[in-house]
Amino acid sequence: MVITITSGKGGVGKSTSTANLAIGLAQQGKRVVAIDFDIGLRNLDMILGLENRIVYDVVDVMEGNCKLPQALISDKKNKDLFFLPASQSKDKNILEKSKVQALIADLRAQFDFVLIDSPAGIESGFEHAMLFADRAIVVVTPEVSSVRDSDRVIGIMDAKNQKRKEGQEMEKHILINRIKPELVEKQEMLSNDDVLKILALPLIGLIPEDPKIISATNTGEPIIYTQSPSAQAFQRITKRILGEDVPFAEFKAKRGLMGALRGLFV
Amino acid sequence: MTSLLNKWFKGANSAHIAKDRLKFVLAYERSVRLPYIDEMKKEILAVVQKYTQTSKIDVRANSNHDIDTLEVEIVLEKQTHTP
Repeated sequence: MVITITSGKGGVGKSTSTANLAIGLAQQGKRVVAIDFDIGLRNLDMILGLENRIVYDVVDVMEGNCKLPQALISDKKNKDLFFLPASQSKDKNILEKSKVQALIADLRAQFDFVLIDSPAGIESGFEHAMLFADRAIVVVTPEVSSVRDSDRVIGIMDAKNQKRKEGQEMEKHILINRIKPELVEKQEMLSNDDVLKILALPLIGLIPEDPKIISATNTGEPIIYTQSPSAQAFQRITKRILGEDVPFAEFKAKRGLMGALRGLFV
Repeated sequence: MTSLLNKWFKGANSAHIAKDRLKFVLAYERSVRLPYIDEMKKEILAVVQKYTQTSKIDVRANSNHDIDTLEVEIVLEKQTHTP
């Protein structure tokens, strides 16, 4: 199963989502590989805390400078999780469709889940990340700029997808990230329903704004290892990806304690 | 007085404003994305001009989970009434 994690604009949490969902799936006993497809800009390695182990990158594999196993970096904590870093030296236009196809086919054969961290927007890198996906998760934040750009990306996604060209359906879901319940309650932030009504795609998860994510990225220890509300949200999304029917939590602003949030099951 | 109220409520309910602005801008953008839109607009306008003087039509696209719609707004010239 190949899942591309994408978005309209940058900075909405694609790489954070990719890292945490990859770990979540590996914790459930699945063989997972996470690929950073944001050619020219590396991010996922820092979030996973694997930046010091990089020797070869995704472009090296595609160009035949090394074999796939040489480039795959194994995770520190999960023996079933591997990571393929983005190239920093090359530019986005280096990717060739046939080489991308061969790489994805190779990974698909070896892993239960291939998670592709796509570049934002609609550049060529986005196109390549979308080509061979079975599923797409669109990360959106409840802000006008993010929702608007997501709509555009959703419109383009199907056109770029091979599966779709073969007459099959690519599953598409919305992940709403960085929700601030206290603002939603005051009607100063778009609600989940608002976003879903506008974008007209099914929901896969809701992640509350979580200040702890910053330190998780600082240290390279992904948030999903903690008991933070956003960590629990990522765990629930993992289960949904695996086909479980998990109810959506509703985040309430916690009174009295500034910024502290508690996910309550409805 | 109104400006004072506006100041007071600044930020309150801005989610509604966001929603309305998004709906409006996306309705336009979704219609622009349709590959046949320019051709279709031309043809609709040709039909409309058989009967009216107008040269302006607006097309907006909307979609929800079940249905996609196109809204065509024909802007008519104001009739000048002769007394």
